[in-house]
Amino acid sequence: MFNPPVPHRHAARVLIVGGGGSGAALAYDLALRGLSVLLVEKGEFTSGTTGRHHGQLHSGARYAVGDRAIARECMQETLILRRIVPQAIEYNGGLFVALSDDEADYGDSFISACLEAGIPARDAATEKARAWEPALNPAARRAVWVPDGSFDAYRVPAAFLAGAAALGAELRAFTELVGIELRGGRAVGAALRGPDGREERLSFDYLVSATGAWAGRVGALAGLDVPITPAPGAMLAVKGRLTDMVISRLAPPGDGDILVPQRGLSIIGSTQRRADSPEGILPTDEEIAYLKGRAAELVPSFADAPFHAAWAAARPLAGRASNDAEGRAISRDFAVLDHADDGVAGMCTLIGGKATALRVMAEKAADEVCARLGIAEPCRTADFVLPSWRALGAFAARKEA
Amino acid sequence: MRFVLYVRNGEGYSELRAELDPAMTVLDALESLRAAAEGGAKPAVARVPHYRHSCHHGSCGTCSAVVNGLESLMCLTRLGELAAARPRKPGAAPEPPEIAADGAVIVRIDPIRRGALVGGVAARPDEALRAIPEWLGYLRPAEAIDKAELEGDPTRQATGEVLSGRAPERVRFEACIECGLCSSSCPVSVPFMGPAALAAMNRGRERGEARAEELLDSAAAPDGAAACERHLACSRVCPQAVYPGKHIQLLKNALASLAAKMKA
Repeated sequence: MFNPPVPHRHAARVLIVGGGGSGAALAYDLALRGLSVLLVEKGEFTSGTTGRHHGQLHSGARYAVGDRAIARECMQETLILRRIVPQAIEYNGGLFVALSDDEADYGDSFISACLEAGIPARDAATEKARAWEPALNPAARRAVWVPDGSFDAYRVPAAFLAGAAALGAELRAFTELVGIELRGGRAVGAALRGPDGREERLSFDYLVSATGAWAGRVGALAGLDVPITPAPGAMLAVKGRLTDMVISRLAPPGDGDILVPQRGLSIIGSTQRRADSPEGILPTDEEIAYLKGRAAELVPSFADAPFHAAWAAARPLAGRASNDAEGRAISRDFAVLDHADDGVAGMCTLIGGKATALRVMAEKAADEVCARLGIAEPCRTADFVLPSWRALGAFAARKEA
Repeated sequence: MRFVLYVRNGEGYSELRAELDPAMTVLDALESLRAAAEGGAKPAVARVPHYRHSCHHGSCGTCSAVVNGLESLMCLTRLGELAAARPRKPGAAPEPPEIAADGAVIVRIDPIRRGALVGGVAARPDEALRAIPEWLGYLRPAEAIDKAELEGDPTRQATGEVLSGRAPERVRFEACIECGLCSSSCPVSVPFMGPAALAAMNRGRERGEARAEELLDSAAAPDGAAACERHLACSRVCPQAVYPGKHIQLLKNALASLAAKMKA
């Protein structure tokens, strides 16, 4: 039974805009610290980028060569998520597979970078790797085991939302922020349009924009210029669970180099381009053909597996890019931007980040919110197993009744 | 190809006419029309009523709806399928599409039945899942035919993840994505906990959950397995081939043999 103690209740009211992964985890974190939380999401929860992501539970191995700190954080977070949302994770480990001599050579620096980041990567003999996953390309030159996994992109954040609701946070889907009221250089109120189209005004002590690729639009409501570039990535799912382990290319991160199993599907991703708007993004035929070819290099039977679905999601890159190459140069790191220095106090924007890191992103954001509000409460989100995502519906039903 | 989408909006329908690629899914069509409406497209496009969506590949179960009479996931239903012959209800023979006076293929989208309606076609299937106990697991062993046992994982100790006390093994999610299409299609009119919940309970028994007996007790309630009238609409509309009707029959069999044992 989910029933964590909340020792002190604080009067401070925080409005979270955005019901994706970071908003969900932040609502839970702040509710656990005893703050009064209202979360609004313009569509259904997780209908933006969150629900559409690849579903890879990152051990951090992919990032280890490029950035040990991000890799270390991923490793710590995957262990925490496996403890606190165990039923929404298919954990079977992962393999990084080399298909050329160059890639096999890259394995040495890859393994040492992983070990430096606290990721227990190790060589697996190629015969062993093929015994684990017979669908692997027989031409594999080298295989490295890492603790990767798959997670349900909808049910993990939904469990965080259920936890928030259980602690009294108010969660409103299909509720759009349409205005921000400023007074004396401070954001103090919001105009919300509810599911029935009616508008309502309410005041808050602090506003967090956790709107990802939509952060530019929300910032503009307060007259802020928040530099965000929507960077769509495409994914392709075929029918058939070709592997149980996550299969990645043993090479520096690129396109179409991760194959993630999930239920009865195998999903290859991703690509990256830039877009002007995060809305209505669809994969192109070129992206789908490219992904299929890349997946078949890792697992040849992917080429003959029946098509299931193709889709795209808009990553929120922190910064501004006018072309695809500039988009790639933008860091994937996460930041909390308080806007006091931009002339709007009482409001911050969460920028960037990765799905696996939703809990720790929320921890950093909640630390910032508490510091701004003068509240000293520690983060405790790693301490409790979250309730089932199904409880989210039950809480919604109870509130309406 | 020309399409006209009638999307339920309160008592009536919003009418959305557009030239759309038949390879597009119903969900992609709604997304494109919404982006056009919100982006201030010219000529102005009507606002799209509320709809639910998340994963766009049939894994989350949120975009369930009744499309031209048939329970469907909008993210896996292509417009081209709706321009061809298709059943208008579970188990019926395929019928040619309805065509409007201007030649557009008519696509009618309604919310799932027995759902909690938020607005438009957005309805949550909470009621269909209500009888599933909070403690019931969602992971099952993966079919590891001819695959060597995964071993030597130093992180398993740190998280303590084992299935029902057995040694670590390959895991995957249950097939059911909790979309509520089964419950929506079910013609039973007496109080009934529904196909999704009963199928989940029987799967829990099949997995050997520690509290399997409690599951059978729950299924023995008057609104449990006994309320099923074997229409099998649930098994026909399930996008994940869970066959809830089969699981309900297995529960009925287990309850019958339990009753026979009690008598003896």
